[in-house]
Amino acid sequence: MNGTSALNLFDKPNFQDATLIVGWAEDASNLSIRTTNYLIQDLGCTEIGEIMPQEFFPLAGVSVENDVAQFPRSKLYASSRHNLVVFQSNIPRMEWYRFLNILLDVAQECSVREIYTLGAMVSASTHTMPRQLITVMNSGALKAELEPFNVMADTDYETPPGQKPTMSSYLLWLARQRGIDAVNLWVPVPYYLVPVDDPRACKRLVYFFNSKYDLGIDFIPLDSEIAEQNRRIAGLFDRSPDIEALVRRLETGEGIDGAESDKLAREILEYLKKQD
Amino acid sequence: MGIRYIKEPDLIDPVMLASWPGIGNVGLIAVEAMRKSLRSEQLAYIEPWDYFYPNKAIIRKGELIELGFPASDFYFQRTDKRDIIFFTGEEQPTEGSRLYAEGSKAFSMANIVLDVAQKFGCKRIYTSGAAVAPLHHTARSRVWAVPNSETMLEELKKYDNTILMSGVEGREGQGTITGLNGLILGVARRRGMEAVCLMGEIPVYLQGFPFPYPKGSKSVLEVLIAALGIWMDMDSVNQLAEESEKELTGLYEKLPQEVKDQLDRLKQVTVAAPESGETITEEDKRKILDDIDRFFKSQGGDEQH
Repeated sequence: MNGTSALNLFDKPNFQDATLIVGWAEDASNLSIRTTNYLIQDLGCTEIGEIMPQEFFPLAGVSVENDVAQFPRSKLYASSRHNLVVFQSNIPRMEWYRFLNILLDVAQECSVREIYTLGAMVSASTHTMPRQLITVMNSGALKAELEPFNVMADTDYETPPGQKPTMSSYLLWLARQRGIDAVNLWVPVPYYLVPVDDPRACKRLVYFFNSKYDLGIDFIPLDSEIAEQNRRIAGLFDRSPDIEALVRRLETGEGIDGAESDKLAREILEYLKKQD
Repeated sequence: MGIRYIKEPDLIDPVMLASWPGIGNVGLIAVEAMRKSLRSEQLAYIEPWDYFYPNKAIIRKGELIELGFPASDFYFQRTDKRDIIFFTGEEQPTEGSRLYAEGSKAFSMANIVLDVAQKFGCKRIYTSGAAVAPLHHTARSRVWAVPNSETMLEELKKYDNTILMSGVEGREGQGTITGLNGLILGVARRRGMEAVCLMGEIPVYLQGFPFPYPKGSKSVLEVLIAALGIWMDMDSVNQLAEESEKELTGLYEKLPQEVKDQLDRLKQVTVAAPESGETITEEDKRKILDDIDRFFKSQGGDEQH
């Protein structure tokens, strides 16, 4: 099999020790795509290519989400000024090894030195709490490089029986075979924000890249989104003190039961949708 | 994609026993039991990358230490009577969300397994799986044998407790064997190699549950032992079969009486274990099976095989 026939790379800017940021679609709060979109727009990245879908997705029709027909996409963007390549993709449904190796071929062609994948973890935290940044790396040597950025880099984990590792873990492992440093960045997202945006989680990721690479990113739009979401949820609290009480209990670590948890998620979602 | 050899022994006219997971893991349990009983050594493995998604990640102190993949391993053992190559696959290679292998990956894996068989001079391949049957779990499972050549039919008829498809009630010699346990028969036929699939019966009402069914595996092993002329210690399989029957009987007792009454009628249908000594007509048998089928449909049961 030819490792690059599924790749359509129509531009290859000059890079030196570039960084590749990978965002997979369909995670909680659509965090990876929202974050990479923010970076693409703020940094003026342009599209440089795509991995064609026919070998990696069944294409037996289209799925419809929120009334709109969807189609899998795997697009590459870049900013040579920032030495940055961004990859946005649906998670391939088959031929994962080939798909990830094509992406790594691109990384090597673009002289990528570090790869970051983005992801959201569903958590029992609240929208008012600071977002943590959890890292998993493919080399212990990266720990010292990441430590100044206030990340949690001491996770212990084994895939539970019946579950599968993430695509990001798979990419880390393959990157290590090629001697490329790679890091998964995970942000815990409050479970009741999973169906909607979590701009605070998005800001945590953007802030990391801005700090590490001195990108000069404008945070004003993100800060406005965070303020707007807080304002909306505060409006719900005014109308429903029992919902506020549930959030306060989560903040103090007191915990809530299953029925309360369902109620909290349902009411916040309904209220935010009405406000849209 | 490829195969990695760990040893390259000289084997004399070996046969290959191959199995992948399937309903009740009937075939896999049988092949694994014989492989372990004969203390076989690893021969080779198939590189997993092109066939499988990883099945395990191990992270320690924030570092990805290991990524595991489903294993597809070959083993071998020389016995006084017969040299044997074993192949066991931890998963069937699927494309998309299908349960059993099909398409190009299945064809590719079947060919790799047969490449190994031919490299060591195998003339015959045995695969093994489950046959969903109107059987009660207290009865002995029969073994349905499907060869890929007419020349093996007479031989297979001689084995105790074994039937050909034409001997299965209502089948008239027709049927399908899904996944690699079946596909490899066809791929072997293309190469002019003999292959047989031995399917241990599993009760129809267990097919949708994730329980292993070692009673079916035990029946398969009995046929394999006869066919290969070898001896193996059956203690572990007997124990597994007994434990499984006890557990299933425990669950069975918890079923509503109405369901039990329907399933108990399978004891009359089961050809291999006429415990009551009573005989029933073909018409009675058909009526019982139709009744049970209607009952499970009314309960929202699964019709798939």
